[in-house]
Amino acid sequence: MLSALVLIPCLSAAIIGLLLPEKGNSPRKIAIVTAISVLVVNLILAFQFNFQQENFQFEEDIAWIEWIGLNYHLGIDGLSFPLVLLNSFLTLIAIFSTKPEIQRPKLYYAMLLLLSGGAAGAFLAQDLLLFFLFYELEIVPLYFLIAIWGGPKRGYAAMKFLLYTALSGILVLASFLGLVWLTEASNFDYLPLRSHHLSLATQLLLLAPLLIGIFIKIPIFPFHTWLPDAHVQASTPISVLLAGVLLKLGTYALLRFAVGLFFDGWLYLAPWLAILAAVSALYGASCAIAQKDMKKVVAYSSVSHMGYILLAASATTRLSMSAAVFQMVSHGLISAFLFLLVGMVYKKTGSRDVDVLRGLLNPEKGLPVTGGMMILGVMASSGLPGMVGFISEFLVFRGSFPIFPIPTLLCLVATGLTAVYFLLVVNKVFFGRLTEGLAQIPPVKWQEHAPAFVLLLLIIAFGLKPDWVTHWSEVQAIALLTGS
Amino acid sequence: MARTLTKSSKSLLVEEYITRLEQGSALLDDSPQNLLEVVGILKSYGVVLDAYSINLNYIADTQFLKLFPFFKYFNGEVNPNTIAKFMLHDRINYEYAEYCMKGMFWHGGGGLDTYLDTPEFAAETERLIKAFYRYNPLLLALHKVFPDFLPEQMRQMAYYSALGQFWRVMSDIFINLSDSYDQGEIKSIPDVVQFVLDGLVADAALPIIYQIKLRGQEYNIIPKSADITFLMDTGVPYVEAIFFRGTPFAGTVSYNAQAYEIPYDLGMFNYGALYADPLPIGGAGIPPTLLMQDMRHFLPDYLHQFYETNSVRGLGDIRVQICESFQKSMFCVTTAAVKGLAPHPLDTQDLEEKLANRKYLTGWLNRILESQLIKVNSQKQ
Repeated sequence: MLSALVLIPCLSAAIIGLLLPEKGNSPRKIAIVTAISVLVVNLILAFQFNFQQENFQFEEDIAWIEWIGLNYHLGIDGLSFPLVLLNSFLTLIAIFSTKPEIQRPKLYYAMLLLLSGGAAGAFLAQDLLLFFLFYELEIVPLYFLIAIWGGPKRGYAAMKFLLYTALSGILVLASFLGLVWLTEASNFDYLPLRSHHLSLATQLLLLAPLLIGIFIKIPIFPFHTWLPDAHVQASTPISVLLAGVLLKLGTYALLRFAVGLFFDGWLYLAPWLAILAAVSALYGASCAIAQKDMKKVVAYSSVSHMGYILLAASATTRLSMSAAVFQMVSHGLISAFLFLLVGMVYKKTGSRDVDVLRGLLNPEKGLPVTGGMMILGVMASSGLPGMVGFISEFLVFRGSFPIFPIPTLLCLVATGLTAVYFLLVVNKVFFGRLTEGLAQIPPVKWQEHAPAFVLLLLIIAFGLKPDWVTHWSEVQAIALLTGS
Repeated sequence: MARTLTKSSKSLLVEEYITRLEQGSALLDDSPQNLLEVVGILKSYGVVLDAYSINLNYIADTQFLKLFPFFKYFNGEVNPNTIAKFMLHDRINYEYAEYCMKGMFWHGGGGLDTYLDTPEFAAETERLIKAFYRYNPLLLALHKVFPDFLPEQMRQMAYYSALGQFWRVMSDIFINLSDSYDQGEIKSIPDVVQFVLDGLVADAALPIIYQIKLRGQEYNIIPKSADITFLMDTGVPYVEAIFFRGTPFAGTVSYNAQAYEIPYDLGMFNYGALYADPLPIGGAGIPPTLLMQDMRHFLPDYLHQFYETNSVRGLGDIRVQICESFQKSMFCVTTAAVKGLAPHPLDTQDLEEKLANRKYLTGWLNRILESQLIKVNSQKQ
């Protein structure tokens, strides 16, 4: 059953890319059907999922290349399920938010589905080498999605993304190989490797490259510089996937492998990681304040908010680990929502420059619904009660404060700065008199807003009913800490 | 936003527009599109003004001195059906009429404003107050303690009545104008101006009277003997207060006195209909939105079709489009008022009369050219 989550998008990608004609609407239709199918499979699995079970469920374990110890081993637990669901949901959102008349649709939708399948595979893989393969697999489609359908500097941004994330992959692989070699394990299976007895020094030696690789992926300051460029140059649907899913591969790897495999080493480094989290959160927020491009503001806000996940993971309490998972889901929804809205502004006005845009809340000639939703998105990102951002940030800070009070307080300052940079954007772009040159911008159709509406509903729903998310990961959070 | 003109360019423009007016043209450029917009919008404005005037007169005649006139917008028809319609906002926005009334009341000017400070008005108002609250010793006692409060309410009621009577006449003029257009008698913007001018002149001396009947007694709040007339005592202050001065819309300028965004002198106000920026229409705190909302229900078909095809948003920004047309129509009414009040016919060949006219027109145009006129006339059609 789990294989369906990987194979359906990958097979559809192959069908679209190899068999369909270049012209016509069929690539989009097949992509939509595929994304819906994957989401349905996910929902079926969700109904069968046992929240109280610590171990992996729906496991599929097939020997693949035995002489190198690679097994096709998939499994799902409370840590990965929310992210797999988020991936399939945001893939559908990304397809719907792609303009139907996009150029080279065959390649585009094939790459999009391959990216989705690769991410799902990485979340499901219970074999370190298999995880690495999927981790690397999603780089290729994303590179093309930025390089072909991106903005004017897409080549530069795509190459930067490729180099950074390829380096990330090498470091992660080095750590995995080292672990298997030093523990003399016969294969790369995740669970047996958790029960190793490596010394603290050895763990630190293996943890260091893994962390750097993961920090590049998340990204955490000072390894973040690829992200703003990639976001600015990527088209809106790709930014949605980049922020909503791809960054989560890094945070997922942080919890699953850095905490899960090197727990003693993690505890040793945790105080320093908490400080790094605070620095990253403050740095991202400060950079966001200085930006003129709306998309860069959202991109730097991602850098800032990813810091909260590192903080929560560093604290390694039951609450903070659940908070880290919640923050992943929360950020995935909110950042995807904000990128959709910024994309809508850009699509209609041709600009994302906060010095150019003004008065877009104008009820007759502006983008009042987009602006209204943007304000709600800003509220959610700033952590206002009633929305998913409040719950995630509250859990992060509540879970981390007893362990690391100073870094937590610094992250609280960063969350205050979130309101500053987003309100600056909203005030400049949406309030005041509509710029004369924008008096004839076309209206936004309801169907164009539909993906953002769905995201908004989830942002509010999970804000009002957070246990819909937290009960997925509570048991698994404990399992990560107890080493079972 | 009104464009700021340099001194030299402004004097050249004043010259240009004086010449236009002397030659029988209007402030607004003559074009088929302008004609369609102006006549169409004045038709719907006429229908709305009719409703406004009925309500203003109803309030003045029956809701005076009521401290809590909860049903003042119902014109006496208070039943579950009208209340339900009111709650569902299936109604005319009479609040806009009150907004204009208060604008006139605040800026004052003309014979009506002067009369409301006379002993005759005070005496008659006092007589009415005593009669109205004859069986209400509490309010009579309060009136003794605060003797200015109730007379001020009656001054406001006088403005309700005066504006109601003024709009009653203007409504007929605008609807007749539309009928003439439909019959092919109005073919250009100057024709529109002339039609409005003829209407204003015909009714110029119409007396404005405010008489209240209470328990069989008559109270002449504005008696005929006060000699308050339609044009000079109501029309001209109306144009000054609503077309020129107005009040700034909430949220568009800072009310902070230290920001000096609002002039201290009321005479320096330029927030009226001719200066207003149509773009914020539809937003909170923008009263003309109510008028545009009302007018959209009574647009003639040809104007409705025009709006549908004129904008990239179709009818999505119709209230802004209506406002733009309305502003054009107000330039025509202003042209008619300026022509009607000129000391001599504008086509006079007498040199002294011409000089007097030019002095008079320069005064007006110095103000009008700071309005949206140049921008409106520079738009491509």
